[in-house]
Amino acid sequence: MSTVQGAASRRDVLKYGGAAAALGLALKTGFGPRIALAADEIVIGGSLPMTGVFAFAGIAGHQGLNDYVEWLNENGGIDGRKVRYVMEDTGYKVDVSVAAFKKITAAHKPQFYFGDSTGFEKAIASELNQLGSTVMSGASFASELADPQRYPYHFIAGPSYAEQVGILLEYIKAEASGGAAPKVALVYSDTEFGRDPIASAKARIKTLGLELVDEIVTKPGSVDVSAEVLKLRRSRPDYVIFHGYVLSPINEFIVQMKQMGLKTKFMGTYYTMDKLLIDQVGEPSDGFMGVMPYNYYDSDANGPNLDAMRAYTRKVAPDVTYRPVPYVASWFTGMLFTEIARRTLAAGGDMSAKAMKAALESIEGWDTGGIMGLPVSLKGHSVPVGRIYQVKFSEKRYVPASDWIALT
Amino acid sequence: MRIGDAKTSYIADEQILDTPVRRAWFTALLVLIAAFPLIGNDYTIYLACLVAINVISATGLNILTGFTGQISLGQAAFMGLGGYTVAVLASRWGVPFIFTLPLAGLASAAFGVLVGLPSLRVKGLYLAIATLAASVILHFVFAHWDPVTGGIGGISIPPASLFGYVLDRDRDMYWLIMALAVLACMGARNLFRTRVGRAFIAIRDRDISAEVLGIDLLRWKLYAFALSSFYAGVAGGLFAYFFRVVTPESFPLTMSIFFLAAIIVGGMGTIMGGILGAIFMTLVPEALRFITSAVTPFYPQAPVVLSPMREVVFGLLIVLFLIFEPHGLAEMWRRLRRFFHLWPFRT
Amino acid sequence: MDWLFFGEVSLAGLATGGLYALIALGFVIIYKATRVINFAVGEMMMISAYLFLTFAGLLDWPWYVSLPLAVIGGSLLGGVIERVAIRPMLGENPISVVMVTIGIASVLIGLAEMLWTADPQLLPDFLPGEPLFIGEMYVAPKSAWAFIIAACVIAIYLLYFRFSRGGVALRATASDQAAAYSMGIAVPKVFSAAWIAGAFAAAISGILVAASGGLSPQMGVVGLSILVIVILGGLDSILGALIGGLFVGWFETIAGTYLGGEYRQLATFSLLALILIARPYGLFGTREIERL
Repeated sequence: MSTVQGAASRRDVLKYGGAAAALGLALKTGFGPRIALAADEIVIGGSLPMTGVFAFAGIAGHQGLNDYVEWLNENGGIDGRKVRYVMEDTGYKVDVSVAAFKKITAAHKPQFYFGDSTGFEKAIASELNQLGSTVMSGASFASELADPQRYPYHFIAGPSYAEQVGILLEYIKAEASGGAAPKVALVYSDTEFGRDPIASAKARIKTLGLELVDEIVTKPGSVDVSAEVLKLRRSRPDYVIFHGYVLSPINEFIVQMKQMGLKTKFMGTYYTMDKLLIDQVGEPSDGFMGVMPYNYYDSDANGPNLDAMRAYTRKVAPDVTYRPVPYVASWFTGMLFTEIARRTLAAGGDMSAKAMKAALESIEGWDTGGIMGLPVSLKGHSVPVGRIYQVKFSEKRYVPASDWIALT
Repeated sequence: MRIGDAKTSYIADEQILDTPVRRAWFTALLVLIAAFPLIGNDYTIYLACLVAINVISATGLNILTGFTGQISLGQAAFMGLGGYTVAVLASRWGVPFIFTLPLAGLASAAFGVLVGLPSLRVKGLYLAIATLAASVILHFVFAHWDPVTGGIGGISIPPASLFGYVLDRDRDMYWLIMALAVLACMGARNLFRTRVGRAFIAIRDRDISAEVLGIDLLRWKLYAFALSSFYAGVAGGLFAYFFRVVTPESFPLTMSIFFLAAIIVGGMGTIMGGILGAIFMTLVPEALRFITSAVTPFYPQAPVVLSPMREVVFGLLIVLFLIFEPHGLAEMWRRLRRFFHLWPFRT
Repeated sequence: MDWLFFGEVSLAGLATGGLYALIALGFVIIYKATRVINFAVGEMMMISAYLFLTFAGLLDWPWYVSLPLAVIGGSLLGGVIERVAIRPMLGENPISVVMVTIGIASVLIGLAEMLWTADPQLLPDFLPGEPLFIGEMYVAPKSAWAFIIAACVIAIYLLYFRFSRGGVALRATASDQAAAYSMGIAVPKVFSAAWIAGAFAAAISGILVAASGGLSPQMGVVGLSILVIVILGGLDSILGALIGGLFVGWFETIAGTYLGGEYRQLATFSLLALILIARPYGLFGTREIERL
C-alpha cells in the first residue's frame, strides 16, 4: 500500500517538479530568443519608436545604430570584441519602452542602451542607477538628462535642447553687432519637449541683452495658427525660434508671415532641421535657419568617420543618397559607446557603469572624425557644440551659416 | 464531471468559492502568484506588476462602467490624480507609503464624486464627454500648476518603504502590488453580493426602474464614482511608486481608452472580465513585439513593417470582440470551465 | 484693447469654426440617422487627407481630379465602416457601439502608418495664396478658402436634406425608425447613406484641415474638438452643430490668443462642463423622454 502511494507521489513530484522547472525556464528566458552570452561580447540595447508620433526618428535612428554596429564588426569590433545590437519597438510609449528595457536587460545584459524619449529615460533612471551595469543615451536631448548628479549613467550625444537654443541666441547676438537689440520671439509646443528650453532661453535672452517680444504656445500636431501669426505680425520679431515641433505648424508660420511681407528670420532646433522640412515645405523653406550639432550626411565636410558612414551606406544601400539626421546622431552615439568601451577596457576592463561613467567623463578634446566640427568633451554629459545652418533651396540642402559654436 | 450542488443554506449558495475544487484552484493560484518572483526574471516580473496595476484600475472602471452603466473616459485622469497625490506627499513631505496610497485613493474618490455629480442629469454619452472634460481639466492642472505638480517635467518619487525595508526594485514592489490587486478583486467580487453592488446593477439595468424601487440614484451613482476612482487612485499611486516618476504625459487619454477596451475585451460587468481584459490587453502588445523580434533575424525590415500592426490589432480586438463575443473573455472562460465540468457530455 | 487685432483673430477663429461646423454636421447626420457617436471622425478625416496626398502629391494629378477622388474614397470608407462594423452592432447598447468606433479609429491609424509611414507630411498647395483683406483686417488665404468651401458644402447639405427624397427619408428615419420602416423607407439603406454623407463631410474637411495644419497619422485628435462641439450644440441638432462649430472655433482661438495656446482646450472643455451642468442635452439637443 505504502509503496504504491509512495510511487504515485514520487511520480507526481517528478511531474509537477518538471512542469514547474519548465515553466521557470520559460519565464527566465523572458520568452525571448535565447542567445548564449559570449563573455567578451559588448551589447547595445535599444528602445526605439518604429511607430507612433516619433517613428520618423526611430526608424532612422534604428538604421543608424544598426549600420554602425555592422560596420564596426566588419572593422574588428571594439578591440576585437564583437558588438551586438538588440532593439525593440516601443511605439513611443513609456511603459512599452520600459518593458523593452527590462526584456533586453534580462536576456542580453547590455552595456549600453539607446532610449527613445525623455519620459522613458527619466522613468528608467532609478533602475539604471541601481543596475550599475549600463550606460544610456538616446533620442531625447532634454536638458534635465544632462545632469551627472541625478542621472549619472546617462549622457546626451549632442547639445541639450536648452543648449541648442542657447547656441541660436549666441548666434543672434553675434549677428546683431551694435544697433538696436534684436527682437526675438519664441514659439513652442505645449509638451515636455516644447517647454524644455524655455526658462533657460528666457534667462539667456536677458543676459545677452536681446529683446523677447513674444512667446507663443501652441498645441502639438495639426492646428490652425492664423491667429498666432497675427500676433507675430504685431510684435514684429527679427527672429522667431521654433522648438518642440517636427514640421507643422512651422511651415504655416513661414508661409503666412512671408505673405504678410515680414522680414523675420525663422530658426529651428535639432528635430526640425532635417531634409523633411525642405522636401515638405518647398520653396518657402529657403533661408530657414537652425542649429545642428553634426555635419549633414550630404554636407561638404569630410573626416574619416563621416566618410566611413557614407561609404558604408553606399555599400549596403547603393540607391540611398541621404541619411536623416537621427541616423547620423545614432551613428555618432554608437561611436561614443565604442569610445567609452575602449577607454573602460583600457583602464582595466571592469565594464561597470561606474567605470564607464569615469571613461565618459575622461573624454576631452576628442576628435569625432568629421561628425562634429569641434573636438568634443563630455564632462557635463552633453556636448554643447553646434553650428548654424541655413536652407539653400536651390541645392535642396542645408549650408553652414556660421562657424561652429561652443557654449561655455 | 461535476454533479449537482448539494447546498443546504443560502450562505453556502452565495459563496464565491463554492466547491472544494475551486478552493483548491484558488489556493494554487495564490501560491503561484506569491512564488512567481522566484522563477521570473526582471522582465516577466515587470510585466506582472504592470498587469496587476492595470487589473486594479480596470476593475475600478468595471465597477463604474460594467456594473453601474456609467461610461467614463476619465480613468487615466483619476489614476493621474492618485499618482500625483503620492508624488507630492512622498517627495515633498516624505509621507510614508502606507499613508500615501490610501490618501491617493481618497483624493481620487473625492474628485470622482465631483465628476459624478452631474451624472443624475447627464446620461450616457453626454456623461462620457463630461468625464472627458474633467480629465482634460485635470490634465491641464498637472501640466501647469508648477509649484505643486512640477509642471510639465513632473515629479520624481522616492522609493516606497515598508517597516524600514526599501522597496526600490520591481521584485520588492511585486508582492505589494499583487497583494493589493488580489485584495481589490476580492473586494469588488464581494461588493456585488451586497446591497450596494446590487443597487449598482439595478441602476445599470434601468435607472428609472431602480429609482422606483427605492434606490436613491444620486447617492448610489456617486458611490460608484467614488469607489471606481478610489481603485483608479490606488492604481495610479502604485504606478507612481513603480515608475518612480509622474509627468502629465504619464496619463494620456489613450490610457482611458485602453482601460475601456480592457473591460470590453475582458467582459463588462464581471470581475473576471476586468482581470482577464487587463491581462490580455497588457500582454498582447508584448506578444506582438515578441513576434516582431522573432522575425527580425530573417527579415530585418520587420520592425518597420510589422510595428504598425499593433495599432491595428488593438483596434481589431475591440471591434471583433464587440461583434462576435460581446461578453468578452470572461464568457469564453466560463464556456471553457463548463466544458470541463460537464465533460464527457456535450455542453 | 486693439479692436483691429480682435477682429482679425475673430475672423481667423470663425474660419476654423466653419470647418468645425462642417465636420460637426457630418457627425450629427450620422448620429441622427443611426444613433451612433462616431469617435473615428478624426481618423476618417485623416485617411481622406492621405488619399488626397497620394493622388495629388505622389501621383502628381491635378487637384481638381485628386480632390473629388479623395472625397469619394473617404465617403466610400464611411460606407464600408457602416456595413462591416456598425451594422452588426444594431441594437446593441450605445457604449458598445462607441467602442467599436474607437476600435476603428485605432485600426485606421495603424493602416495609415503602414501605408503612408508615420512621417509628418504636408499637402501640396491647391488653395490660392493671395492674402485677403476685409477692410483693414487680414485673413489668411487658406483659412478663408477653407471657410468658403465649408460654407458651400454646408449649404448643399441643408438644401439636400430639406428638399430631396433622400433627405426626407433620412429625416423620417431620424424622427421615428419604426414609422419610417412602415412607410416603406429602406432604413438600412438610409443608414448607409447617412454614413456616406457624414464621411463625405469628414473627407472634405479633413483635406482642408490638413492643407493648413499638416498631416500625420495622429491628425485624428482634431476629433476631440468636434466632440465638444456636438455635445455643446446637442447631438441631434444640425443647427447646434453649425452654431457650435462656429462658436467653438472662435472661442478656442480667442482663448488661445489672449491666454496662451495651452488654454485652448481647457477653455472649450471648461465651457462644455458648465453647459452640461446647465443643459444636459446641449444647447439645441432634444431632451429624451424616458418611459418605463
